[in-house]
Amino acid sequence: MSVRALLACWVALVLLSLATVASLGLPSARDTLLVLLLLVLGKAWLIVDGFMELRHAPWPWRALMLAWPVAMALGVAGAALL
Amino acid sequence: MSTSPEALLPNRRLPGDLAMWWFILAEITLFSILILAFAITQRLQPALFAAGRQALDASMGLALTLSLLTSGLLVALAVTRVRQARAGVSALLLAALGSACVYVWLKLSEYAHLLALGLDVEHDTFFTLYWLLTGLHFLHVLLGLVIIAWMAVRAWRGGYHAGNCSGLESGALYWHMVDLVWVLLFPLVYLIGAGP
Repeated sequence: MSVRALLACWVALVLLSLATVASLGLPSARDTLLVLLLLVLGKAWLIVDGFMELRHAPWPWRALMLAWPVAMALGVAGAALL
Repeated sequence: MSTSPEALLPNRRLPGDLAMWWFILAEITLFSILILAFAITQRLQPALFAAGRQALDASMGLALTLSLLTSGLLVALAVTRVRQARAGVSALLLAALGSACVYVWLKLSEYAHLLALGLDVEHDTFFTLYWLLTGLHFLHVLLGLVIIAWMAVRAWRGGYHAGNCSGLESGALYWHMVDLVWVLLFPLVYLIGAGP
């Protein structure tokens, strides 16, 4: 990846991390959980596609690594909400 | 000239060694079990987990996150610099090491604070899982420090070139895996259930 793309990726990760803490101010615990998990997905996908450079990797590896945070988020949400 | 979809796509390449990818899959599988165990136990004992989280500081979790992400950026920049045959790779890796050391220092401060409060691994279920999850991750960070230091020395000796940086890519992938696991651990351990 280019230097500019990596820096953009890092800035996005920092902003999403700040938003993660800010989301604690939401009135509903359910909304907070869902927002937190969406932010986690965004950060995880940025790391997988950006830092780990899987954006242009063979699709099975990219799919596997992008699916892992989704599976974890669904597991955490399922445990909390069901 | 071929017009197949494959010919229109950029050259698809898996960075690093294949063995590192299998290692990463094994590691995230291990963390998956602990993450789901934490989430399910939290569902069974919500009051205990909410009380345990009161002893943790979300701003400390954020600082830990930022130090790891910054270190990850510096390692990724080092890999890019090797591919572009530019100098300064070992300096970037040393800076990454410094940022990772900030994580270690902050985490040790947090551990010392919790131990001073008597919140050790046997205190209750929350802290048993807290120490297991974050302790295992911390051990991965320590291994990452050794890997980054080794890569910095090798880069300083001119051991990496544009056509020969698979080892550097593999070490960088390990470090990004440590980042990836942490971005899930941070909200799970520090934040979920800590709101109003």
